[in-house]
Amino acid sequence: MRAALALQGYAFDDAEIAEIVMQFSRLEAIARTVFDYPLPFASEPAPVFRP
Amino acid sequence: MIGSAADIAQQIARGTRSATAVLAQCKALIEARDPDLNCFTAKTFQRAEREAAAIDDSYAEGKPLPPLAGVPYAVKNLFDVEGMVTLAGAKINAGNSPAAADATIVARMRRAGAVLVGALNMEELAYGFLTENHHYGVTRNPHDRTRGAGGSSGGSAAAVGAGMLPITLGSDTSGSIRVPASLCGVFGLKPTYGRLPRSGAYPFVNSFDHVGPFANSVAGLALSYDAMQGPDPADPACAQRDVEPAGMALSLPRGIRIGILGGWFHEWADTAARRSVQLAAAALGANERAEFKSAEVARAAAYIITGAEGGALHRPRLIEQYADFGPASRSRLVAGGLIPASWVIQAQRVRQHAYAEAMGLFERFDLLIAAAAPAVAPRVGQETLLINGRSIPTKAGLGVLTQPISCIGLPVCTVPVWPGEGDSPAEQALPVGVQLIGAPWREGLCLAAARTLEQAGIATVKLTGSDGLGR
Repeated sequence: MRAALALQGYAFDDAEIAEIVMQFSRLEAIARTVFDYPLPFASEPAPVFRP
Repeated sequence: MIGSAADIAQQIARGTRSATAVLAQCKALIEARDPDLNCFTAKTFQRAEREAAAIDDSYAEGKPLPPLAGVPYAVKNLFDVEGMVTLAGAKINAGNSPAAADATIVARMRRAGAVLVGALNMEELAYGFLTENHHYGVTRNPHDRTRGAGGSSGGSAAAVGAGMLPITLGSDTSGSIRVPASLCGVFGLKPTYGRLPRSGAYPFVNSFDHVGPFANSVAGLALSYDAMQGPDPADPACAQRDVEPAGMALSLPRGIRIGILGGWFHEWADTAARRSVQLAAAALGANERAEFKSAEVARAAAYIITGAEGGALHRPRLIEQYADFGPASRSRLVAGGLIPASWVIQAQRVRQHAYAEAMGLFERFDLLIAAAAPAVAPRVGQETLLINGRSIPTKAGLGVLTQPISCIGLPVCTVPVWPGEGDSPAEQALPVGVQLIGAPWREGLCLAAARTLEQAGIATVKLTGSDGLGR
């Protein structure tokens, strides 16, 4: 977590990092459904760019 | 209670009331009721007086009046209003320069004759389903002041629910129109993603940000929606479609096929929310179940994309001004900014998959219905919701039934239903809204179904308690 935060330019104390870790854990718990979701290999992401 | 937008516009067009008189009533209602609820963060009464006087001058000169002439309204404080600082509920924005021009939809409301009376409280940066704002205070529920208004457009919903205004504007990234509309007992429209322009609206998650109206009547919702439609090259996500008026055809076509969403939408609805759906379904003659199997994974995908885009958007100021963000926002935003790209790409693939499944459902059904919130309004400060024996954090959990739908951009009209269910008389007096969900670009059908429920007396906006404010 410290390395990931440093990569983004953040510098936090231990208490702040603990809070961010807790929030990330919540995200990860919900995101798990998405990682494991079976999709066809060639399925594309939703479009977000319209030229 | 202020009248409906259609009634006010008609009275002014016929000369039975002046716009200035309507504004005076509206100001009196705001001054009397807002101190208890904290809907407004700013009032624009001087501008309102100029706009109302201009309407009255037009009437006196015999000029044709626009469709919302003299109708007072207010906007969530993430919309640019010329001459005002756009707060988006955040202290970090308080020192910004005032907006140089109105947001596109505010300018369109002005051209339609509506009279702007102020800016409304919201969740900080629109991140969350409460309006318990660390900087600008809690917006309370007009039907029970120990409870919240929901969010993030809490001020917009509560101001209509308290009878102060016939129309307000808000935004909906994951449910921020539909959840507070449900909790405050008002009508709300989240149009199809890309339908209404977002230029001049403070962004949160570009992939999901929608804007739309709240109202105390379906006609008011339709009038304001029609006034705000149309292409806008300044918003790259705007679909650049011509205006497709909904206000002229608010009757439901015969033979409409309506599906009641089960599965995820039934599991995460408590007794009161299920009762609201039953009441709406019965009035619409709907009895067939529909299953959106991707609902759970669509919600999870929305959660990932929201975290990642929100975290990336605010990263520079999180680095510089971390202490100026509210404690409930800052750590979530930083955590979101750490989400790996592979998760986001997978989430966008899941989103496309969920959209395809929903389009399959619309081959069988014209409209889908589900509760708009899992339960009635929670108490202010309540940390968790208990839904059918399962606990979920309130701040995120209130959107459990809306997030799968906004993830795929479908139009939804939320209608206020009063199920009369709950563990206490206080809970039994509270509303739970119902989502009327259409296929893309079929806002007119959602509004027509809402109108059917309004005419049947199932969907109504009402003041509660002896003082009309839940007391």
